[in-house]
Amino acid sequence: MNEPGGAWHRVHPLSPLIRSWQAIALVIFFIGRDAGESLLTGDRDDGPWLRLPGRDVGVGVWLTGGGLVVVALVVVVALMVLSWRMTRYRITADSLELRSGVVWRQHRRAQLDRLQAVDVVQPLLARIFGLARLTVEVAGAGTSAIQLSYLTESRARSLRNQLLASSAGLTYTEEEAPEAPEHHWLEVPVPRLMGSIALSGATAGFLVSAVVLVILSLVLGTAAPAAGIVPWALGSVGALWGRFSRGFGFRVATSPDGLRLRHGLVEARAQTVPPGRVQAVQLTQPLLWRRTDWWQVQVNVAGYGAGGGGDASSGNSPNTLLPVGTRDEAIGVLSFVIPQLGTGPEENPRLVIEAALDGTGGGSGFVTSPAAARRLDPLSWRRNGFRVTDTALLIRRGRLRRTVIVVPHARTQSLGIVQGPWDRRLGLASFALHSTPGPITPMVAHLADGDAARLLAEQSERAQRARAAAGPERWMQIARRADAPSQLPPPLPPVDAS
Amino acid sequence: MADPFHVPGADWRPVSPKLATARRIVLAIWCAALVVPPLVSSLVFDLPRMRWVALIPLVLLGWGWWLIGRQVRAWAYAERSEDLVIRSGRIWRTMVVVPYGRLQYVDVDEGPIARMFGLASVQLHTASAGTDAAIPGLEAAEAARLRDRLTERGQAQLAGL
Repeated sequence: MNEPGGAWHRVHPLSPLIRSWQAIALVIFFIGRDAGESLLTGDRDDGPWLRLPGRDVGVGVWLTGGGLVVVALVVVVALMVLSWRMTRYRITADSLELRSGVVWRQHRRAQLDRLQAVDVVQPLLARIFGLARLTVEVAGAGTSAIQLSYLTESRARSLRNQLLASSAGLTYTEEEAPEAPEHHWLEVPVPRLMGSIALSGATAGFLVSAVVLVILSLVLGTAAPAAGIVPWALGSVGALWGRFSRGFGFRVATSPDGLRLRHGLVEARAQTVPPGRVQAVQLTQPLLWRRTDWWQVQVNVAGYGAGGGGDASSGNSPNTLLPVGTRDEAIGVLSFVIPQLGTGPEENPRLVIEAALDGTGGGSGFVTSPAAARRLDPLSWRRNGFRVTDTALLIRRGRLRRTVIVVPHARTQSLGIVQGPWDRRLGLASFALHSTPGPITPMVAHLADGDAARLLAEQSERAQRARAAAGPERWMQIARRADAPSQLPPPLPPVDAS
Repeated sequence: MADPFHVPGADWRPVSPKLATARRIVLAIWCAALVVPPLVSSLVFDLPRMRWVALIPLVLLGWGWWLIGRQVRAWAYAERSEDLVIRSGRIWRTMVVVPYGRLQYVDVDEGPIARMFGLASVQLHTASAGTDAAIPGLEAAEAARLRDRLTERGQAQLAGL
């Protein structure tokens, strides 16, 4: 342990137990059920799993059986202790290192200036014991995150502050890194969350098909089609419950460290997305949310990938910044993630965003598909379009399901143009902007080919200029260097009623 | 109509025409494998109609032969001062612009048949999975030169994510 850069720490001793709680619960359940059964029936000898056909089981078998169980228990406990002992982490000035594994050992080291997001996750059992898992996302393909599971809650929080502080390039004199001041911003009310789920496409699809099946079974005079609803209903309820549970108590706060999200009913999750880590933002409004004017906000963040197993489109993934919010809330979240929209000096940025949210045609500087696209895109050709500002590319699409995507120029990875045979005949082409993996794929379909070519040429120049001007990865250094206050940007002015 | 695939200041370089030969050999092997079963069964079981089925892979071979020629001629790349541009496809035309500063790594692959022709393919990777930027069929020396050039420029211009 005489290596430079700080001491190695161990995770909480209860960690292996919580990590493998499902297996343990299963074993306890079976043993308990057997014991309970034999108690109830007064059948004091061997349990059903030890009875051999047509033969009495003697004491010897009992002893060997019991001995095996004890040996197995000892081995399991020894493995757990060993795995706990072998899991160690440390923080140096610029990296986080994790060593783990008993047989296959792993030593992972992450550069803190490449840190993309820090999450504190508490599954139900960990919550009961006051423990939490710290997930540190760095940009990388696949499972590149470092997971410290489990730590005590206070340790997880102080560690998060320390990581964010070193990642931000912040220097502090205290023993522990100070927690960045948090500014509570908004909370999603439970009734609205339930309403948004009730008005989701999944619910509507289920109800419609249920009605069809019931009618079908009435017409046919057999219950078979109606009975088909049951397993499906169970599945749907499970999916909807997942959405509810994840979105429950969704709170958004802002801090100099970026957006802080807290949510979850069963599994509590506290996410921190530092500024400048957001690669693309998307605001969506499904058709059924239009009356209530609700919007969902999602982001591409390099470490989160396509959503960590969750269904990205239903708001279950860590990529969700706001599962359901009013128009003002959604625009507010957008304005925090992308502080400068870069509209012209004469323009009201709010009006530009309003035009992106529900406008059609060429207002507010939007370039849309030409009339020739009507044959390929009869519904939304007037709405499909883009707008370029000094800092970002705004993409607008979808007539029924309205979608707005904002990609900062500095976050452009690569660009592309695609032209199929029909496009060519009609003088169209589609423009694509490649972002890091995530729920958002920024693309403008069926532009006039001249517009697409111009956009590609100009966008590659803009992206290059923005890259050259981009600040350092350590965001507090930007703030200090530019003497910019690291506070919430002024909210966008409200739109006039006129 | 403007050509959306016209890029100002691009000095397009084609991929090697030998790529077409290499791909046609692979295609011919596949078609041969598809011709044998119907042909053999028509001879063994005396089913004269099966001979017509054997014609299908031959037709596919002819069509693919023609298509490969067009595809390979359509494939080109251009090194500009800040980015690499790749265009490909005749029916579905695509073009990708990859800034050097965004390159994460470069792959050079050589398949067995491509190697017989002294060819290699270069694949560019950025932090985005959507970047589909591959140049197949480069002369091995050109592939190595391009790889070194790309990593050199990528180093010089590397930006964060």
